[in-house]
Amino acid sequence: MIQTVRNLAVHFRTTLNNLKSNRQVSFVTIATIAIAFSILGLFLVVFVNLDTFLTTWSREVQLVVYLEDAISGKERESLERVIAGNPEVESVAFVSRETAWENFKSTFSAKSEFLKSLEINPLPASFNVQFKQTRDRVEKIRQFAETLRKSPGVESLEYGEKWIGRFEKFMIFLKVFLLAIGGLLGLGLIFIISNTIKLSLYSRQDEIELMLMVGATHGYIKTPFLLEGMAQALIGALISVGVIKFVHLHMKLQFQDTLEAIARGGGFLFVSFSQVLFLLLASAAVGWAGSYLSINQFLNSIQKR
Amino acid sequence: MIQLYNVFKTYGGNIPALVDVSLVIREGAFVFVTGPSGAGKTTLLKILFRWENFDSGQVLVNGMNIGKIKERNLYLLRRTIGVVFQDYKLLPHRTVFENIALVQQVVGASYRALKARTWEALKSVGLSHKKDAYPLQLSGGEQQRVAIARALVNSPKILLADEPTGNLDPEIAHDIVKLFERANEQGMTVVFATHNHELIRKTNYPYIALNRGNIVRA
Ligand SMILES: Nc1ncnc2c1ncn2[C@@H]1O[C@H](COP(=O)(O)OP(=O)(O)OP(=O)(O)O)[C@@H](O)[C@H]1O
Ligand SMILES: [Mg+2]
Repeated sequence: MIQTVRNLAVHFRTTLNNLKSNRQVSFVTIATIAIAFSILGLFLVVFVNLDTFLTTWSREVQLVVYLEDAISGKERESLERVIAGNPEVESVAFVSRETAWENFKSTFSAKSEFLKSLEINPLPASFNVQFKQTRDRVEKIRQFAETLRKSPGVESLEYGEKWIGRFEKFMIFLKVFLLAIGGLLGLGLIFIISNTIKLSLYSRQDEIELMLMVGATHGYIKTPFLLEGMAQALIGALISVGVIKFVHLHMKLQFQDTLEAIARGGGFLFVSFSQVLFLLLASAAVGWAGSYLSINQFLNSIQKR
Repeated sequence: MIQLYNVFKTYGGNIPALVDVSLVIREGAFVFVTGPSGAGKTTLLKILFRWENFDSGQVLVNGMNIGKIKERNLYLLRRTIGVVFQDYKLLPHRTVFENIALVQQVVGASYRALKARTWEALKSVGLSHKKDAYPLQLSGGEQQRVAIARALVNSPKILLADEPTGNLDPEIAHDIVKLFERANEQGMTVVFATHNHELIRKTNYPYIALNRGNIVRA
């Protein structure tokens, strides 16, 4: 245990020396990683915000059941019972034709003299149904709407299914796109880091061979290079978090008002803490993988005699 | 204890480096390995700490069948062996002290033990005043002594020395042999490769003579 701690101290020093003596290559690698992670991070910010909009909007979605003008009192009551009886429904409000017409007129009358002069009422009566706030709320609404569609007295239903469906499809596409980009960038970075570590290994080949000759374990040889790869990736990722934060602040200053209007109160969000943590962990993993490949290859090449 | 049975070794090409080599070196012995350039002396030593593989035969070192040791466990064998390399293999960017201490560091010695033992090894080869010098600032004989101190610092059971008196003048060569004799007196098995017949005659230790990979006298 003490020996492990002692070795670790030695490894950290070696790693620092390696980074220093390969300053230029390390710098290029770190910069590349920073750029790659910045791109990924900015996509992530866009995704997080769109996702939040979607949730905000879908929270406001309600089911409007328009009734036939000829609906009987009995049909209406049974319909109301069915709706109120659904465990997902929070509240149901009846809007009569007259109320609907008054609402409509008070909203638009200022703009149109024509409406005021209209004598007939073109609007149907409706039930406005609020659903409880659950994760799969939109899906629940969709299902319930389908069961109601054929009920007697129902003229039509509306809950914004078209645009929500499209938006959801777009978000799924974006998610796949993000994963694909993340995967590709990850592979590219593993390759870049493994190359950098290879240079570092070859620049210290004599020392490594000597250490093997005097009885160093493989772990002892590998650790500083694994740390070196992880350090480069982590530093790059930290820089990218800074870049993302900077861009985010800038965007927020520029577009906050517009966004607030669109998102109805929701601000422009930064990636969450756990996402930052994930980004950092992912970078460390990428750094580890890149170094690991090179070191194993290098040790094998030394031993194949 | 070192035992070789019918060992063959060829590097890539056609010329064999070792041909049917069998020999026994008892624990605590002092043995020379001699022969003209290209005879296979270095190859033999490199096989003993499994830096080189061999094609066939059996090699036992300190009770380990070294052809059978797994790659990742080779360090166990190598920690029982100290090697003085023909080309010294000192690291140019580390001081004399650091070069020797590295070997202690690799086996996980505590900092206190590392300092004490490195200092002791430096003193035994008479170079404590050069501890902060870099290898290239030393004479050939001094570099050789640093290499010896490094081979001794972990108190190995076996000391392999490859041409340690190579291009040193006879007087310094004699001092260096003295160093090995002292290690030998403490129980270390010493295998000393050289083509200096003068040295062998003067010291009277047994020798193994190789020629083109064949043992011509054991
Ligand atoms: N790494 C290598 N690759 C290919 N051939 C090699 C290698 N090392 C040694 N040889 C060949 O193996 C044979 C034995 O070489 P070795 O180095 O063991 O001789 P030696 O007795 O140590 O010679 P010297 O006294 O010059 O040091 C020689 O023919 C040499 O050319
Ligand atoms: Mg040789």
